[in-house]
Amino acid sequence: MLKRISEHTIYYISLIIILSLGFLLAYSSSDRGFQIGVIVAITFFYALWGIMHHLINHDLNVKIVIEYILIGVFGLTIIFFLLSTI
Amino acid sequence: MKDFLSHLFIPKESNNHRAKILHHTNLFLVIVFLLLASFLIQRVRVSFPSVLGIKVNISFEELLSLTNKERQEAGVDPLIINEKLSEAAAKKAQDMFEYNYWAHNSPVGKTPWIFIKSSGYEYIYAGENLARGFTTADGAIEAWMASPDHRNNMLSSNYKDVGFAVKLGEINGEETVLIVQELGNLQMPADGDKAQEIATAKNTDTFSRSVQAVRQQPLINVSSLSSNIYFIFILVFILTFMLDMIIIEKKKIMRFVGHNIDHILYLLLVLVLIGVWSRGVII
Repeated sequence: MLKRISEHTIYYISLIIILSLGFLLAYSSSDRGFQIGVIVAITFFYALWGIMHHLINHDLNVKIVIEYILIGVFGLTIIFFLLSTI
Repeated sequence: MKDFLSHLFIPKESNNHRAKILHHTNLFLVIVFLLLASFLIQRVRVSFPSVLGIKVNISFEELLSLTNKERQEAGVDPLIINEKLSEAAAKKAQDMFEYNYWAHNSPVGKTPWIFIKSSGYEYIYAGENLARGFTTADGAIEAWMASPDHRNNMLSSNYKDVGFAVKLGEINGEETVLIVQELGNLQMPADGDKAQEIATAKNTDTFSRSVQAVRQQPLINVSSLSSNIYFIFILVFILTFMLDMIIIEKKKIMRFVGHNIDHILYLLLVLVLIGVWSRGVII
């Protein structure tokens, strides 16, 4: 696992930076529309970044694309319903 | 049962070396389940608010005493409840529900100062803190104290009076609880003791009439129920991805699946947002 992280340091650091920026943007705003926009953009980035990484490593297939989409939809579903209860 | 759980959460031959819960069909089923459960919760919430609703227990007295406790600890004079500021706070909360917004300035440009002045409070200094989704007074005060701007407002020696409003209502079709804190001062701070004494006497009298509480006690608190369900789901998936990654690394099995670290990082972001947002928000 550590070997894998060290081989793809730039990829993981950029992912962590974008996710952290997304968190700060969503957390610092009180505008519900903006918060949802940021989370949708972050989810889109996470899926696209992951798929691109697989593409560069020549191990991309349809199942992997579906996996990223499903996890993204899972996260978005939770965020949408959470925001509707506060 | 043990076999079923290990088949669901541990990668092995029987599940093609990928925890069964992480298979596409099961991920899809989990999403469908979450959608159905959330819709069901919303329906029950609308039809049976006494069973499932927002549990609120906030008294103005508590808000005032917690605010003054913080001021006392910071070495600042305590605030006095002012009925006109409480009226301004109530008008502000009502306006937010009526015109569907959550901000210091309304969509038509009404500032907090308009509400304060229209209630007859001719301030020298004025400030406003807003909180949404908090169901206890200490939760809101704690969040205000954690934010530098709100903390400065609460602890400012420029203010002598305070007014609160706690209202339940709907913004954009979502039931929520709003807490409005209006702060003000009618005198220049250097004006001396006399003006302050007058204000104290006058407002002590109004406070006894202003003590109110907003309480709603449904059988089940919808906000904690939802956030707990979401929290558990996300946590289960994070742990399953971790376990999956560790076991597969150990067994050195080649698979063509997404990167578990990506999923863990993304789900951690969702988990942190659940933790932060389920407490309520302030502006």
